[in-house]
Amino acid sequence: MARQINTKHLAAIQGIMIVLVSIVTLEATLMLQTYYSKKVLKEEANRRAESELETTELAITAVARQVETAVNNTGWNVARYVDKPDSLMEITRRLVTYNDVIFGSAIALTGKQLSPYSYMRDGQVVSTDALGSASYDYKNKEWFLKPLELGRGFWSEPYFDEGGGQMLMTTYSVPISSNAGKVVAVLTADVSLDWLANLVENIDVYPTALSMVVSSSGKIIVSPDEELSTASSIQGLAAQAAPDDTSGYNEVNRAMLSGQTGNLKVKTNGKVNYVFFGAIESMGWSMSIIIPEEEIYIGVNRLTNMVILLQLLGVLMIIIIIVHTVRSQRKLREVEESKSRIDGELQVASNIQMSMLPKVFPPFPERTDIDMSAALVSAKEVGGDIYDFYMRDDKLFFCIGDVSGKGVPASLFMAVTRNLFRAESANEDSPEKIVTAINDTLCSSNESSMFVTFFCGVLDMATGEMYYCNAGHNAPALFTDSIGELPADPNIPLGVLPGFRYSLQQVVLNHDDALFLYTDGITEAEDENHQLFGMERMLSVLHSRRSAQGHLEAMAEAVLRFRGNAPQSDDITALFIHYLGHPVQKDHECKIVFDNDVSQIPRLEEFMEEVERVAGFDMPLTMSLNLALEEAVVNVMQYAFPKGVTGRVNLKAIIRDECVEFILWDKGVAFDPTAAPEADTSLGVEERAIGGLGIHLVRKIMDSVSYVRRDGMNILTMIKNTK
Amino acid sequence: MEVTIIEQDSALVAKLAGRLDTAVSQEVSAKLQPLVDNADRTLILDCKDLEYISSSGLRIFLTIRKAAAAKGGKVIVKDISTEIRQVFMMTGFLNLFEVVTGA
Repeated sequence: MARQINTKHLAAIQGIMIVLVSIVTLEATLMLQTYYSKKVLKEEANRRAESELETTELAITAVARQVETAVNNTGWNVARYVDKPDSLMEITRRLVTYNDVIFGSAIALTGKQLSPYSYMRDGQVVSTDALGSASYDYKNKEWFLKPLELGRGFWSEPYFDEGGGQMLMTTYSVPISSNAGKVVAVLTADVSLDWLANLVENIDVYPTALSMVVSSSGKIIVSPDEELSTASSIQGLAAQAAPDDTSGYNEVNRAMLSGQTGNLKVKTNGKVNYVFFGAIESMGWSMSIIIPEEEIYIGVNRLTNMVILLQLLGVLMIIIIIVHTVRSQRKLREVEESKSRIDGELQVASNIQMSMLPKVFPPFPERTDIDMSAALVSAKEVGGDIYDFYMRDDKLFFCIGDVSGKGVPASLFMAVTRNLFRAESANEDSPEKIVTAINDTLCSSNESSMFVTFFCGVLDMATGEMYYCNAGHNAPALFTDSIGELPADPNIPLGVLPGFRYSLQQVVLNHDDALFLYTDGITEAEDENHQLFGMERMLSVLHSRRSAQGHLEAMAEAVLRFRGNAPQSDDITALFIHYLGHPVQKDHECKIVFDNDVSQIPRLEEFMEEVERVAGFDMPLTMSLNLALEEAVVNVMQYAFPKGVTGRVNLKAIIRDECVEFILWDKGVAFDPTAAPEADTSLGVEERAIGGLGIHLVRKIMDSVSYVRRDGMNILTMIKNTK
Repeated sequence: MEVTIIEQDSALVAKLAGRLDTAVSQEVSAKLQPLVDNADRTLILDCKDLEYISSSGLRIFLTIRKAAAAKGGKVIVKDISTEIRQVFMMTGFLNLFEVVTGA
């Protein structure tokens, strides 16, 4: 039990380990993949932002250069006509007229208060002297002072023009010097920044990225975002977006104002943003693109989420599989436990079944008139074959049977049949009555429709008289002078038809006769090629002379060898009964049976010793009779049976007062030894034939030799007179 | 059945002991082959311990005798029992073999 708990725990631990290792491996892979993906995406974001910054800068610079060029090219003209206000007015008109981006232009003289100004209004150029009016002291304005101070062109801070254009403007102002080198005027060009707003608005790096242009003073010039515009400066934006921590934006602000190019990571409202910035040198401005980090990594984050989802699904499945496996293992173990319990019970059942059968051999060690043995080999743990025998009133009661089907049901039916046999034969000597009674009982309670083929015999040990009754079983083999089948009426198996009258049969066994009862497990044993063992092989095994036990062992070995690796398909049961009682006229007759094999010849000496003892011969006569009989027997073995054909040669000695009569008979082909020509014993060495001596000796030794062919048998009768 | 072959002077002596019946005749025939092979010499069949002989044994004797006749050798059958002598008589073998008794 302790071991089982351990294995159960072990399975759970193994399951957990598998899940953990899976998770760790998957996560490590995911992290690595995410890291590299992000790196690539970050690089991509850098590249795109920088490219946008550059493009925008180029566009702004192009406009600036255009304006600067137009203005600068006009400078000399201003110097020339500085004293002619109408011409100056014309110059401003021309600048506005011929330069699309220039919305307005003024020439503010450094001397007297005069500033001709032309500007676009509803598609028309309007000229005015208003700028030089006493109410507008341009000489204090930055656009006037700054160029003079710097001595070069100056771009003003962008401003919102509320006068003429109602739009965001910036003004480029340049000091105009006379030929003498004295600064005489400041020429300005007002440039609308509407196009800039469009330009910035069209920057489309990432959907939620914010682009803005910041002036040199840190004011936000353009941004597509309303909020940002109102914030008006990066600091304002920082205060708005991340009131708790403005340090990031402050740094961005500082970097932008100092005209640097680069990027910074800034946190707002817990979200990380990348701020890419670059200087627009031509205008002294700076530009930035703010890209939320999640925007950059949106692809990889989405992928990561999907992968995590899939991983979770995978881990869930692994867990389900492990739980299922652990459960099925437990179930398997339960099945195995129950199987081993059933196996154990079957073993007990098998033991009980086998204990019903007589299995001590030889069964009647005190008796010299019988040699018998029996064997049962079940194909499964328990079988449906049956044999039984016992001795009562000097009679041998025996039976053999084969229940239809195999396994436990067959074994139970077999047990019932065996008990009925014992019960019915306890007070009844007649086999057909025993069989009929068993049949009626089996039929009356046979709900499972099983049946049993059965053979029952009762052998009178004193007389050799055997009564028997067959119930559908195969006829036993009978060994007398030859091997054959015991004639047996088939009748029908037991358990099929109640009231069936089974026939009784009778045979008389002589001394040395034998019966071999068997079930079809022997004849129908299959080898690997599904060939059947068959009757012929079975009889050939029984041909040699052996003890009853020896016969069964030889049969088991032969069947096993024949079967090879093929499984045993049916129960195998055999019963060998060798009757050794009731020797006919035992004082006057001796008998011996040979297989047709010359290696059996030495047995003749034992036979002759018996004859000698019974008849009281002297040695020389015994030897010459032995010689004559050997010659006769060998003749039969060699000529009555073709090579390879097995058969039996029977020899009987009838001892009478005045003579001994030897009868030699066999079922071989017709062969008359007396027909052989007389050997001429007077011939010399060269002429003498090698053969023919045998029958010559028989004739010489015996007083009478005669042959007759009868009932398919060769019968040779030899008589030796003893008086 | 035991067969022992020894060389004695220029002769080959085969000592036969036991029962020479049909069952052992083939085996004995093989063992006595050296005698047939040396049939130009004097061959002695020592039958002092031969208890029994059947026609198959006699055939072996006759084969040896025929070989000797063909090759110019000589076969001596030594010390046969009364019973075997009887068999020799019945089969005319006494005429075919030089049968001697004693040393």
